[in-house]
Formats: sequence, C-alpha cells, structure tokens
Amino acid sequence: MRSAFCKSLQVASRRTIFQTPVTSAFLTTAGSTRNIQTPRADPLSKEYKYWNREESKHGEYAYLLDMSPWSVKREARIVSLSDPNDSANDALHKGKLPYSSQLLGVGKTVDELKDLADKEPNVLFVSPSCPRACLVLPQVLEAFPTIEWVHVRSAGLDFLSPEELQSSSSIPFTNAKGAFSSSLAEYTMMSCSYFAKNLPRLMRQKQAQNWEKYDVEELRGKTLGVVGYGDIGRATAKLANAYGMRVVALRRHPEISVNDPLCDKVLGTGKASLNELMAESDYVVCSAPSTVSTRGMVNADAFAAAKEGMVFINLGRGPVVDEKALVKALKSGQLKGAALDVFAEEPLPKGHDLWGLDNVLISPHNMDQTETFMHEATSFFLMENLPRFICGEDLLNRVDVKAGY
Amino acid sequence: HFLASARGGLLLRAAPLFSLASSARSLPAASTSLALLAHHRHRQAAPKTTLAGGSTMDPPGADAYWNRETSKHGEGYSGKVIKEARIVCLSDPDDKDNEPLYRGGDKLPEGSSVLAVGTALEDFDLEALKEAQPNVVFVSHPKARGPLPDLLEALPSVDWVHARSAGVDFITSDSLSSITAQNNVTVTNAKGCFSSTLAEYTMMACSYFAKDLPRLLKNKKAKDWDRYDVEEIRGKTLGVIGYGDIGRACAKLADAYGMEVLALRRNTKKSLHDPYVKEVFGLDRLNLLMSKSDYILIAAPLTEDTRGLVGAEAISHSKDGAVIINVGRGPIIDEEALVDALQDGTLKGAALDVTTIEPLPKESPLWELDNVLLSPHNMDKTATFSLEAAEMFLFENVPRYVRGE
Repeated sequence: MRSAFCKSLQVASRRTIFQTPVTSAFLTTAGSTRNIQTPRADPLSKEYKYWNREESKHGEYAYLLDMSPWSVKREARIVSLSDPNDSANDALHKGKLPYSSQLLGVGKTVDELKDLADKEPNVLFVSPSCPRACLVLPQVLEAFPTIEWVHVRSAGLDFLSPEELQSSSSIPFTNAKGAFSSSLAEYTMMSCSYFAKNLPRLMRQKQAQNWEKYDVEELRGKTLGVVGYGDIGRATAKLANAYGMRVVALRRHPEISVNDPLCDKVLGTGKASLNELMAESDYVVCSAPSTVSTRGMVNADAFAAAKEGMVFINLGRGPVVDEKALVKALKSGQLKGAALDVFAEEPLPKGHDLWGLDNVLISPHNMDQTETFMHEATSFFLMENLPRFICGEDLLNRVDVKAGY
Repeated sequence: HFLASARGGLLLRAAPLFSLASSARSLPAASTSLALLAHHRHRQAAPKTTLAGGSTMDPPGADAYWNRETSKHGEGYSGKVIKEARIVCLSDPDDKDNEPLYRGGDKLPEGSSVLAVGTALEDFDLEALKEAQPNVVFVSHPKARGPLPDLLEALPSVDWVHARSAGVDFITSDSLSSITAQNNVTVTNAKGCFSSTLAEYTMMACSYFAKDLPRLLKNKKAKDWDRYDVEEIRGKTLGVIGYGDIGRACAKLADAYGMEVLALRRNTKKSLHDPYVKEVFGLDRLNLLMSKSDYILIAAPLTEDTRGLVGAEAISHSKDGAVIINVGRGPIIDEEALVDALQDGTLKGAALDVTTIEPLPKESPLWELDNVLLSPHNMDKTATFSLEAAEMFLFENVPRYVRGE
C-alpha cells in the first residue's frame, strides 16, 4: 500500500516535469523537421509511450486504483461511440470499470447520445463498429465540448478521415497500435516463405499427385524492405532478423530508427528513397497507414525500380498502393508475386483482376483477426490508458491527428 | 581419455567428430588423438542480434559441430599440416555438386588430394589404390550402402569416412558398423548444413495451419471474401522430437515467434541449458510431449529407437488441433496411424517433407487429404545445398584432418 502511494507521488512529479512542454509541442505542424515527439516514438528511449503486446506489461497502473484512492486525480466519464451490440466492447459496455470511471452511454449517432451532454463526459471511446464514424465524430465532439480525450479502439484511423478533424485536434487522440503487430509479422514471414518455397507449385503438384523435386529458396540472406516502419514494421523486422534477413526500413522520421539494431538501413520518405528500397529488397512489406502523404505512394515508378523477382506484401492499407500499377507489374512479371491482406476497395469486388492472378495470395483483411483481437483492444483501453487518464499519467499510443497516424 | 586444451581452457576429449546415428551399434571412440574444437565461435557483436555460437550454449566439452548460420569458413583450425589426406570418392563422377573435389589441383586444401572417383567397387583399381594408401573416403552416392563396407575392407588404410549429406541412413548397415569398428574408422557427416532452411519450412508449415492457408486458397478460387478468424503462432507450444541441429534451428525461430519449445532427445543433458527450450524430455516421455504440444516437429534421424516411434499410441495422446510436421525420416511415423488420425480429426493436419516411401506412391491416401501439406523431400534442397555440403567437407573437415585435429 505504502509503496504504491509513493509510486503515485513519484509519478505525479514526473508528470509536472514532462507534461507541459511535451503535450503542447506534440501538436507542432507536420512539416517541422525536429518533431518533439521523437524521444517518445523511439522504442529504445526510456520515455517510449507506445504499447506493444509482445513486450509491454499489462495494467501497470490498474493495481494502483485498487490500492489507493489517493492515486486518482480525476474521474472518467465515458461515452462510447460504437454499436451497442458489438461484443468486442462488452468489457466496456457490460463489464466492471476501473475505480473512478463510469460509462455514461453507448450510441452510434449524436441523437442517441446528446442527452448525455449535461453529464459532462470527458472521455470518448470510438470503435469502427460505429457506421459513418467520419461524419459522426466531429458532430459528437461539437456536441460534447467537455471531451478531454478520444480513444480509438483500432489501430487504423483512416475510417475517421482525420484530415477533417483538425479543428478539434487540441484533444489528445490515442489508438490501439501495437496490439496486432505480432500477428501481422507472422503473416509477413508466411507470405515470404509462400513464395520462397514455392507453395503454389506444391499445391499444383499435390493436386496432380506429382512427386517432383524442385529447388527451394532460402529467406536467410535475403533483404526485406519495410515501407512504413512503425510497430508492425518493427515486429516484422524482429522476425526477419531471426531468419537471417537483412532489413531496410523506410519511415517519415528516419532519425528515430537510426539506432535500431533490427534495421540494417533506415531511409526517409521521398521517391528516391522508395526506389532505393525497391531496388534492394527481395521482399517488400508495406505497413504504412493511409494518410494524405502516403496515398498512392507505391506507384508504377516504384514497381519499375523493383528488384527482379521481388515479392510485394501489403498489410497496411490498400490506398497506399496504386492498385492498377500493381496488377500490371504482377501480370508483366516485373514482380514475382504479391501477398495482399488489404485493398483499395474491401470486400474485393468479384470482377477484380487480382482474384485471377496465380501469383497473388489474397486474404480478406483478416490476417490480424484473431478471435480475441478486438476484445484485447478494448481491454487495452480499460486496463492501460483509462487508468493512466484517471491517475493523470501520460497516455499511451498518442496519435498525430493531422498526420493521420 | 581427456586432453587439456591449449585453447581457452576448454576441456577437450578424443572422440569421433560425429557418432553414427544408430544407437545400438555405436562406434568406438577413435584412438588417434582427434581433438575437438568448439567450432561455434561467438560472433563479434554486430548491431544486430545474431545467434550466439554454440560454445556459450553447449555444455563444455561438447562435440564440435559446424553450423552454417554461425560458423565461418576457415575459422577454428590452425597449426601446421602434419599429414596428407588421400581421398577416394564413392560418388557419381558427373555430380556437379562435387566440383570442388573433382576439380583438384591447387583448389584443394593444403595436403589433400583426390585419388579416385567411382560408384561401385568395379570402378576402382583396388590394387593400385591400396598401394597409394588412401585414408579418407568421401561418400555421396545414393547407392553406396553396398559398396562402402567392401571398399573399406579392401582399403584398410582408410581411417575416416565423410558422408556428404546429413542423413546417414543411406549407408548404415551391420557390415559397415563392423568394418568401421574393426579398422577404427571415424565417420562424419553434414549436419548443420541444412538446418536453417528446414527451420524456415517448419515455421511456414505452422503458419499454413494457423492462418488456414488451405481455406485462403479455396476462397481465392471461388472469389469468396470470407473473413474468418486466424490463429496466432505466438504463445503456442512446439514439441521437437529429436532435438539436434535442425531442432535447434527451429527452436530459435519458434522462440522469436514467441512459442514455447519442448525438446525430446536421447541425451537430455545436452539441452538442459539451451535458452530456446523450456523443457527437455527423454525418449520415454513422448506421450507427455504429445499432450503438451500444439505443433509437433519430428527432426530425428532414422534409427532403431525412432522407427515407428510416433504411432497410434503417441498420436492418441496429442492435443486437440495438433499439427505434425516431419522433416526427419518418413518411417519414424506409423503412416497408417497418421492417415487414420488425419481422417478422423484427431490431428488437425500434417506437413510432410518425408514419407515412408519416396517418391510417395500414387495409392497413398496422403495425396487426397485436404489437411496435409506434402512436399517431395525438397524443403532443404536449395540450388547450392549439396555443393555447400561438399565444400564443408573440403574446407572444414579436410583442413582439420590434415592438421591432426
């Protein structure tokens, strides 16, 4: 009890040191070369404020609330902008909430929620099960000026059209990045092996009952290019390293990853860098979010620069890739093959060329969809960020709304 | 007997560089002072996390093994050449993978020469050969089981036989064991050369079932956007039957994925301090291993002890939804019991690179089973693997032999 109280004191003093300069500088324009966010975004830094399912510990603060009311700095009055029938949110909608927090209501539209305004909600929980969220969210924020924090249940923010939210960007937004990274890393390595061991050929031979030996390729010694080196990129690099692959990473802020032991090379954005990555990599995984700057980034020029026999994997967002150029490169043999979990239009229309291409592995945006992944995302909100909010701690997984991720 | 070492205080012992897999008919320790070195040098600290060499993992005095991922060519031996290596090859003279040997001349390591190449006894002029006093036999011909003991009988000066492959069951026989015992012949092989490729295959096989690749492929054919839940590999248990070099390479990858590894091997003591393994079992605890593993990897050699080891009884102890992966030898599994278990759902699936009869006969039910991933014993067959194995003989073991190491 006593140590928990002391810890909460220490924690409180840390807050006063960091909160003011960091939180206000956090929302500097995207164009600034030295983003104050840098130390917090570097996984190697002590102030790393992102949660990774493999490495982070659960609920460091939840116990504090059980232990001592003195660690509580404020009350959380939560409104959930989601489908009440979404069972993944049950822990929030129907479960026991941490001390000093209450759920005011659940709804999908402003109408359903507007009666709650006089209860002065300060936390907004948004999940993709709310239809037309990009329209509803700004309305909700307008209706509830008392909101201090918005948490998005998923990792992707593009369903909210973040560019339109900039007027309300003084409110911190957090998301679920890091929750699904390891599943996607597994998928990436599976896709690489799918082509290296020529699984399509194995399937064909099995069908034909043909026992014919052929040479396989190794992944060891090959180069993996990661376009958009965030948490997913890092989880993938960790596995790729174990396989003995070389990793070339590309991200907006290369200085953050320059000392990352998992990367052999770190590049910044720009056409030249992307082409460099494409030319050097045997396997390219695109894990970038869909934002104003990334849309259509991987285009015909990038594919033209691709190394011979390169395999392209997309698990970020469809719009980051110029799909027509991709199809062309696959048909012409410029690319050996592709593994795609995301598409410009989902579900992928039946008439789409990609269905018919032999050298493409298609999955219906489910390669991180485990039975419990959304439940875990809700848990993350309840057990990690909500307690931090209540204790006045820095929140995890802050996103830059203007940048879109 | 033991020798005090001049190198770093390691206790060396005179023992065969490798002991033949057949446990019941073990070879005697060579009486000549073939000392052992720790081949596995700890890689110089690079920014990346690399596999530490075997010397830090294996108990002191462990047998020296060459591992393609961690050992470097040309390292690990020094000193003066004290004898010649006069090599006779029991291999196909047209085999391009043996080029480094056949090329001869100054390309061969110092002190070595190739006297003759042939596939059967008749190919050799035994009288002339006997006079030249060959001391090394290099075996790579698949039909070497018959000629080899006779060759050794005819050439008593031979004290070392090297098998190019890792599997030695293609040459083991009672007559071989007796002649090697009689003439004091050391036998070595190529273990460690192919392990990482097979580890890649193993993780691919796990992913194949975890992400339900068969379903993905079926859906693609039907252009069906059917979102289903996938399983994670993280957190699952891999049970390795036959924890040798291949098992270890797989454990390394499995560990990176966040799996728990249980190892089963003859000499449990050797793996007690292995950081990749959670628990080590002896041969008598097979059923226990089966009951705890989600994925069962068979990486054992074929011996009296392992033939039919994984039969109906072991399979009946398996966990719900277990998957068997075989990269060892087909006869280790009771194929009929396997087929039954696959058909009635006791096993979720199997990935078989080896089968009892190879090529797999068309009548085998394995061809038709949907939950079987079949490959024609080629998952370690890279374009250069045999060449690399021949090189390993020539540039690793021959230099050691001529230096009396």
